[in-house]
Amino acid sequence: MGLRKDPRAPHHSHARGGALHAGHAALAAWLVLPLVPLVLWAAADRWTAPAVLPQAWGTAGLRDAVDAGAGTGFLRSTVLGLVVAALATPLGAMAGRALATHRVPLGGAVLAVLLSPLVLPPFAVALGLDVLLLRLGVPSPVGVVLLLTVAALPYTTVLMRAAYAAHDRGFEDEARTLGATARQTVFHVQLPLLAPALAGAAFLAFLVGWSDYVVTLLVGGGQLVTLPLLVASAAAATGNEAQVAVLSLSSVLPPLVLLVAVGLVGRRARA
Amino acid sequence: MAAGRRRSITAGAALLALAGCAAPSSEAPEAADRPWDDVLAEADGQTVDLWMYGGDEAGNAYVDDVLAPAAAGLGVTVRRVPVADTGDALDRVLSERQAGVTDGEVDLVWVNGENYATGRQAGAWLCDWALDLPNREHTDPDDPLLENDFGVPVEGCESPWHKAQFTLVYDSARVPEPPTTLAGVLDWAQANPGRFTYPAPPDFTGSVFVRQVLSSVAAGPGEVPLEYSQEAYDEYAPALFDRLAELDPALWRGGETYPQSQQELDRLFADGEVDMTMTYGPATLTDLVADGTVPPTTRVLTLEEGTFGNASFLAIPSTSGDAAGAQVVADLALSPEQQVAKADPGTWGQFTVLDLERLDEADRAAFEQLPASPVVPPYEELSQNAQAELSADWVGPLDEGWRRSVLAP
Amino acid sequence: MSTRQRAVLLVLPALVPVAAVVGAALVSAVLLSLGLTPLVGQPELSLDAWRAAAGDLGTATRLSLGIAAAATVLAAGVGLCLALAATAVVRRSRLLGALAALTIPVPHLVGAAAIGLLLADSGFLPRLLGVAPGDWPSLVGGQWWVAVVAEYAWKESAFVALVVGSVLASRARSYDETAALLGAGRWARFRYVTLPLAAPALGVASAVTFVYTLGSYEVAALLGRPYPEPLPVMAVRLAGSIDLAVRPQAAAVAVTTAVLALAAVLLALRALRRLSAWD
Repeated sequence: MGLRKDPRAPHHSHARGGALHAGHAALAAWLVLPLVPLVLWAAADRWTAPAVLPQAWGTAGLRDAVDAGAGTGFLRSTVLGLVVAALATPLGAMAGRALATHRVPLGGAVLAVLLSPLVLPPFAVALGLDVLLLRLGVPSPVGVVLLLTVAALPYTTVLMRAAYAAHDRGFEDEARTLGATARQTVFHVQLPLLAPALAGAAFLAFLVGWSDYVVTLLVGGGQLVTLPLLVASAAAATGNEAQVAVLSLSSVLPPLVLLVAVGLVGRRARA
Repeated sequence: MAAGRRRSITAGAALLALAGCAAPSSEAPEAADRPWDDVLAEADGQTVDLWMYGGDEAGNAYVDDVLAPAAAGLGVTVRRVPVADTGDALDRVLSERQAGVTDGEVDLVWVNGENYATGRQAGAWLCDWALDLPNREHTDPDDPLLENDFGVPVEGCESPWHKAQFTLVYDSARVPEPPTTLAGVLDWAQANPGRFTYPAPPDFTGSVFVRQVLSSVAAGPGEVPLEYSQEAYDEYAPALFDRLAELDPALWRGGETYPQSQQELDRLFADGEVDMTMTYGPATLTDLVADGTVPPTTRVLTLEEGTFGNASFLAIPSTSGDAAGAQVVADLALSPEQQVAKADPGTWGQFTVLDLERLDEADRAAFEQLPASPVVPPYEELSQNAQAELSADWVGPLDEGWRRSVLAP
Repeated sequence: MSTRQRAVLLVLPALVPVAAVVGAALVSAVLLSLGLTPLVGQPELSLDAWRAAAGDLGTATRLSLGIAAAATVLAAGVGLCLALAATAVVRRSRLLGALAALTIPVPHLVGAAAIGLLLADSGFLPRLLGVAPGDWPSLVGGQWWVAVVAEYAWKESAFVALVVGSVLASRARSYDETAALLGAGRWARFRYVTLPLAAPALGVASAVTFVYTLGSYEVAALLGRPYPEPLPVMAVRLAGSIDLAVRPQAAAVAVTTAVLALAAVLLALRALRRLSAWD
């Protein structure tokens, strides 16, 4: 990651550099533009058409969000996201590793099964699965974590399988030749090399727990009022735009902090 | 091979049993008949999970800041669970009911009409308790709004919370001379292309609007029988759909599409794209005007022939494990102190279900001294000539018929 | 322990819960759709729900596939560009990487609200450009589902960038440098080094995007129109019907959605197997 500009790179003409800049600017606009009205709303007390910018700035949205329970919702979402990431990342990494080595019998079918949670629309949970969990007496927090971990596994498996497939086993063989134990090789060679992919997988798994509504509400039985529950209920009426914007932006923050933190750890591990 | 197949059949049978082959009884369980003091004693220390639509900030604040502290005084903790749609609460209750759960996570739900009717089909609500609440004596036993909810008998299966009136809302700056009847509104819409629309049923509000037009097209209120029958549908629905199809090209975007929810219609109104909106909960208008979401010139349109009125209720799921606590909260919510606090437009502005005649002097005075909302007229004015809601059995066929005849002919 | 056994042991902890949950969910939904687990009344095997839903299933399926395909193509294209820009040896844009990372955690519900605020008739964009609501094309709730496709494409392009980028970051640079050292041109390096390395990840991320879009409800519900409706919107509408007897139809639509998605996953896996770097 910390690579400086490559001195061997061929020189660019001004025209090509300009095109590249325009391309980068367009990509940046693509990513940022949808968030602009949200950011403006978060700081707006009043913003009615056809004004381009809010007529009154203020913290009403923040106040409403805090009143709605954003603080505890935030904490609960974070814990749920971390638990899901902590379970789905290692499981996905193990499965990804095994699948990438082509030693799993019926590997194609196994991969298809691991991807199958993707094909279940979230609302399908309300069509019988929730009844089954209640019948089996599964405690609701366990049910929520189980379903969300399963929902996160396709992402972590795919990401880690791709990473292991592209991973150069040469380094590990070299380490083993030099006398490293299997455990040492995994923790000191393999994992550091795969840190960016692991970080990405953990991040996606975290987001599955972090942004879920249906499972958290219906299987969790309302005991876990997370940020998405607050966002969804506030977003169900006109007039709550500022509050929804604050809740939404605050729901972008922790994953971002996590991403930066994991990125830093990954970089240090590889340095 | 044979053994393997047998095993899979056994497993399948087990799963089938777990998934719950037998449907739960649609008969509603009844609350035990016992002295109120026993209920109070059992409620002490219970936590009541109140699931309610969370999009109404004023409502959330009322529950958190007024109702919950008062309940805490009775030893009951109220936990508000905000949902985007009351149907989510019902989904959870139905699943618990199907699974035979008896200490479920939903103890009290803010419901009206449709969700109540749906729950009744599956025996999802606890019955025979609401009439025994001590504060029930402040209501009029013959009040039709409290006897039937969308044509489904209430029968003590839910306790009234507040009254509401279906209301059309307009911007007086853009419609200086508003029509005074629903037929007039439709004519006005046709004369002003693009300035009117309504949410597509099965959206709750859009569905009410369609029924309101049904009553208007059928030569006025009282003409359409409240009870649903195929004959009544065949007699009255065609004229309704003809009228709405005729109106269609004059609507917003030429009627080629409709807003999908009241929320979407409210946004169009707030942005000045249409000149009218509509709601079954006019209480929220005070706040919407105050915070500038809708123009200060927003007014309520009262119709000569009146509109549908209803009450919304607090219902206890038959799966609740804290039913005693829930009854105590429902009773508290019905007390004159809570009803007057809730009716204050500065708090929530919800119309009371109490009969002022049955209150003592001081309580009546408290209601009479409530400040008036600058936007919403008093209930007496809004509910003039109020019409009774058609029974819930009308809703499905009308919504479906509208989809086939007006939305996608 | 043989390497085969070890591989199986590594896969099982993920495989068992996934198979159990997905199997149970599908079986429950199928049973409900066949009238075997009704909320009211006696269980009775029947295809009534399937028959009742069949009329609208065709339109809904076509619409769902169309939306998912358009969103996937856009997301894959933009996502690949983002990944390349964020991991390029030359003129790497750290900023774009960070911005893409910023977009991923936005829940789709919020994304839909944001796109609505941006693209609606009186949204931020028409106001910024000074276009009157009447002259603005019907992007939200319009015939072409532009806002819905845009939301999925926007959010999922960041996801594609993350998946492709993490593979390129662990692998591509050294190859790219080697190729540059050997004198390969810019295009040749892209065509013969970067693209083959990125292709499997791009393919699988696109498949995930497609399947996710096919089954997701809230964006189409918020930014779409009431008719015609995509499969998930239809299912949720039926599941919320005032009449509980309609619920099996919702299950039938949900099962249809799942089967379509499963077919898409299998097709994608088959296509991916042909890519050398994947297998």
